[in-house]
Amino acid sequence: MKTLAIMVHEAWLSTLAAGFMSQTQSKQRLFDFSDILFRHFCWIEGIMIEEGESYNYDRDSIPIKVERLSVILQNIIQRLNQIDLQLIGLNHTLGSRISSDLHYMREVLAHLPDEKVEAFGMQRKLPSVLLSEEATDALTIFLFEESYKEYELILIYNYLQAHSDDATLNKTFQILIEESFFHLKQFGDMMAQMGILGIPRLVPHEVYQVADLETFLLAGIDEEKAAKEECRKLSQAVASNSPQLAKFFDFINNQEDYHIELMKRALDYYKAKQHG
Amino acid sequence: MADTDMNAQLIEHMMEPKNYGILEDFNSQGVGKNPDNGEKVVISLKITESNGEPVIGDIRFQAIGCMTTVVAGSIITEEAKGLGIARAYELVDTTMRILGGVPPQDAACTEMVALALQAALDTHEARKEDPDYPAITYQITQSCTPKEEGI
Repeated sequence: MKTLAIMVHEAWLSTLAAGFMSQTQSKQRLFDFSDILFRHFCWIEGIMIEEGESYNYDRDSIPIKVERLSVILQNIIQRLNQIDLQLIGLNHTLGSRISSDLHYMREVLAHLPDEKVEAFGMQRKLPSVLLSEEATDALTIFLFEESYKEYELILIYNYLQAHSDDATLNKTFQILIEESFFHLKQFGDMMAQMGILGIPRLVPHEVYQVADLETFLLAGIDEEKAAKEECRKLSQAVASNSPQLAKFFDFINNQEDYHIELMKRALDYYKAKQHG
Repeated sequence: MADTDMNAQLIEHMMEPKNYGILEDFNSQGVGKNPDNGEKVVISLKITESNGEPVIGDIRFQAIGCMTTVVAGSIITEEAKGLGIARAYELVDTTMRILGGVPPQDAACTEMVALALQAALDTHEARKEDPDYPAITYQITQSCTPKEEGI
């Protein structure tokens, strides 16, 4: 089961990366498929927990650097084939559901139009946006740091949710997962446009296997505040050259307010539950 | 490629850090840690024999830290791969000497990587006497204060 989880994790990220690379109508299709693979990953995780199987989110590095979209699409199809083979050993109703999804996805992926991939050219320019050198460097660092951070948050909240049966906390975790997915897709798209696309690196166990939820939430609130500040500085840096990009970072900045509020509420709720 | 301070090689390390992760069959490990903020780097080594001499046959690093730490880890582990033990210690010394002339907030992340490599090498030496010797951890001396990005 662990091998299956790793394979699905890698296929999820690979498909998400293909979505970032695509500049056509295929993008949304690839994002939808990556979302489905993420759900498969969560369901497999649920079975492992039910069956008391120890697991973590380790995976191999995922090579994604291609010149044509068809190359990564073929790679994803191969990954899905291997997952399908692995499902043969899964004695669970989930197996037929996942297999059916994989069958459909393979069919669709095989017929998506090919595209030239511009996501690795390192031109570090956004279409119709002229930034200073300093602003370009700051944006580059921001995108690498924050795309990893969003992936990390998805895994942390997913792990917390998988190991909690508290409906109130899980509702908060689910909202934060969805918010991080949105941010990750926004940042990943921007990285692909700038020619600096990369897969977020592996997250160490101790980061998502949270030992103390109270400490984690307190630190998380501080990190959200720091992210707000980064967004504010970036917005200021790009405002004169691109008011539109500045508005985007203001938009992300303002979204962090709600994350902070959610985490504060989760913290109060958890503390009351622990001590009351 | 935009004509900026950030060169293509640096960006490649960000896009695809080299040697990232944990080796499945490592035989030595070391940790570099920042006691102020909990950031750390773990380096795993697979020490093998080449012409009767121990060499770093394979190496991986994993970081809880910022992108500067990841880039430093990617560069230093790439340099260390294939080196004999004495040359690997020299790499640590050279890195630390270079950091002596760098502002502390810029040096801290790279120091953490260099100390993790030193810790892994020292663990290897200690395990010659005691195969169960635990992975050594060293703490950085530089302060990693978040700096203004100048934007």
